[in-house]
Amino acid sequence: MYRYDEFDTTFVRQRVDQFRDQVNRRVSGDLTEEQFRPLRLMNGLYLQLHAYMLRVAIPYGTLNARQMRQLAFIADEYDKGYGHFTTRQNIQFNWPKLPDVPDILEHLADVEMHAIQTSGNCIRNVTADQWAGATADEFEDPRPYAELMRQWSSLHPEFSFLPRKFKIAVTGAAADRAAIAYHDIGLRLKRNAAGETGFEVMVGGGMGRTPMLGATVRDWLQKEELLAYLEAIMRVYNLHGRRDNKYKARIKILVHELGAEEFTRQVEDEYARIDAPRIMPPPQELTRIKTYFAPPAYEELADQSPELARRMNENTDFAQWVDRNVVAHKQAGYAIVNISLKPVGGVPGDASAAQMRAVADLAEDKSLDEIRVTHEQNLVLPHVRKADLYEVWQSLKAHDLADANIGLATDIIACPGLDYCALATARSIPISQDISRRLGDITRQRDVGDLKIKISGCINACGHHHAGHIGILGLEKRGEEYYQITLGGSGDENASIGEIIGPGFSSETVTDAVETIVDTYVGLRQDGETFLDAYRRVGPDPFKEAVYATH
Amino acid sequence: MAKKIKGPQVLTANLLSDGMVVFLGSDGTWRASIDAADMARTEDGAAALEARAAVFVRTNHVVDPYLIAVDDTGSGFVPVAFRERRRIAGPSVQPFFNTQPNGRLAFAG
Ligand code: SF4
Repeated sequence: MYRYDEFDTTFVRQRVDQFRDQVNRRVSGDLTEEQFRPLRLMNGLYLQLHAYMLRVAIPYGTLNARQMRQLAFIADEYDKGYGHFTTRQNIQFNWPKLPDVPDILEHLADVEMHAIQTSGNCIRNVTADQWAGATADEFEDPRPYAELMRQWSSLHPEFSFLPRKFKIAVTGAAADRAAIAYHDIGLRLKRNAAGETGFEVMVGGGMGRTPMLGATVRDWLQKEELLAYLEAIMRVYNLHGRRDNKYKARIKILVHELGAEEFTRQVEDEYARIDAPRIMPPPQELTRIKTYFAPPAYEELADQSPELARRMNENTDFAQWVDRNVVAHKQAGYAIVNISLKPVGGVPGDASAAQMRAVADLAEDKSLDEIRVTHEQNLVLPHVRKADLYEVWQSLKAHDLADANIGLATDIIACPGLDYCALATARSIPISQDISRRLGDITRQRDVGDLKIKISGCINACGHHHAGHIGILGLEKRGEEYYQITLGGSGDENASIGEIIGPGFSSETVTDAVETIVDTYVGLRQDGETFLDAYRRVGPDPFKEAVYATH
Repeated sequence: MAKKIKGPQVLTANLLSDGMVVFLGSDGTWRASIDAADMARTEDGAAALEARAAVFVRTNHVVDPYLIAVDDTGSGFVPVAFRERRRIAGPSVQPFFNTQPNGRLAFAG
């Protein structure tokens, strides 16, 4: 894992001191709310419906045990004993008090964490494949590049006041688990015929009220050129992005209005003009960063574990958990463990302080001190010996963390919605809980198979509903919540935007509609066909007919 | 000039210190319960609520004050807007996080 150098440490500490002074001045009245608001937002502090909310950055979703324990400590000491993991691989605390926030930031700085650039019109936390560095299907670990981008974009003077917020995601694997096509910039490391790795660069994807998939502006970019090329993209956006209209200010609108070809031409022109060597880090800097992401000290193991095979034979629950939650590791004898934060009827992404500590202990004992946060609001132990899986499962079970539902119907993404969020038009969490209870029977879930249900509480789409196989958007009409359903969205390497199937549903009927959609799929699927495959084959009509005939 | 209002109004804000939802009470304090709020039926009355709230903004006790329309049920007030009903109820998903103990004094101004 990356460790702060002296510069990082000083920078983060100074920022804490600066914010402490700003909070003191706000409380004493030297700063008005208008003056203070942009300052608190620059430090990740929002004022939500019922309380302040602090959003803490988890760079590319990577944590160690010490950091997770510190988050648990903050949850207990300064919040209500829990935290909420988000679709940006961050964590949010929902109840901090303003005078406590500088102390919280101090505790974060103690473990090399902060809340800088988790809000505002700047480059936000760079996200990455949660299995980076561990997955068997990876060309190259994307985290050194994510870290490079983190350093480059932190307080970058030219990009601190962009037309709108800016999100970058990176993956180094063939399968896209980082939803790169839905980001302002999506980066995919790939391999050419000569065996070298380089980047495909996509620009202009996004969710929100105008969902778009990114366009490839460069099919091949040498890795050394990354920052200079990104700088060219940012400059074109900074110059031409629509600052006059908030709803048209994201880069996706610029790419759309100019056309991908013209946008690419402008970027390439800018890139030709740019002083690339000044921007690109010296090779030794990338080498330095890469050393932090060197493979951990794996043991030399046989790939097969007789212990694992025996336990799976003996225990069906365990076998089902392995089947859904455990995936192949690139190191023989190891596996990646996905920890579901989606118990049936629970709040997606919420973890109690006790659960955070349990995961931290397991990471230290059984996963070479690494934890990941996924954009699907789950956690990962990336490096577990296969022979330890049974023990890990038992520990997880003891903390209600062993739901065997990764990628199934109850592994629902839900944003905070109108239970917390000041921008929301409807609640999303209770809808996810209701659907989760309805579809929660594990035999039924396993029969239904891969299904991504994603719920947002307003058009901003933090719950990624556009990318849901079944997407649900909460809106308000005449004082009541209602829910629009989209079908066929996907955030993977074959990304697609979900299509609205028709009029919305009330909070009382939306779960019935989702169940009807699921049952319709079960009725029409062909052998081995997933929900998304079936939808792509038959289109929306059978689903519409079923849903609107019965509701 | 006083703003046009539609029906009875109460004045809400968030406490600066912890963001808690509060209502301006008739006794000049900020109350956690909407039922303890001072209610205005006229435009001048609503403007007077706003003027009183502005003092608390200047003294840094509350932020973002605004009027909300309510139904007067006789035994209390119910916000007309769905968002406001949710805002005073607290998160529905974790009942023990609810923020509105009836009539609790949030801040004595
Ligand atoms: S989608 Fe809307 S309601 Fe949900 S977290 Fe984002 S802004 Fe809030």
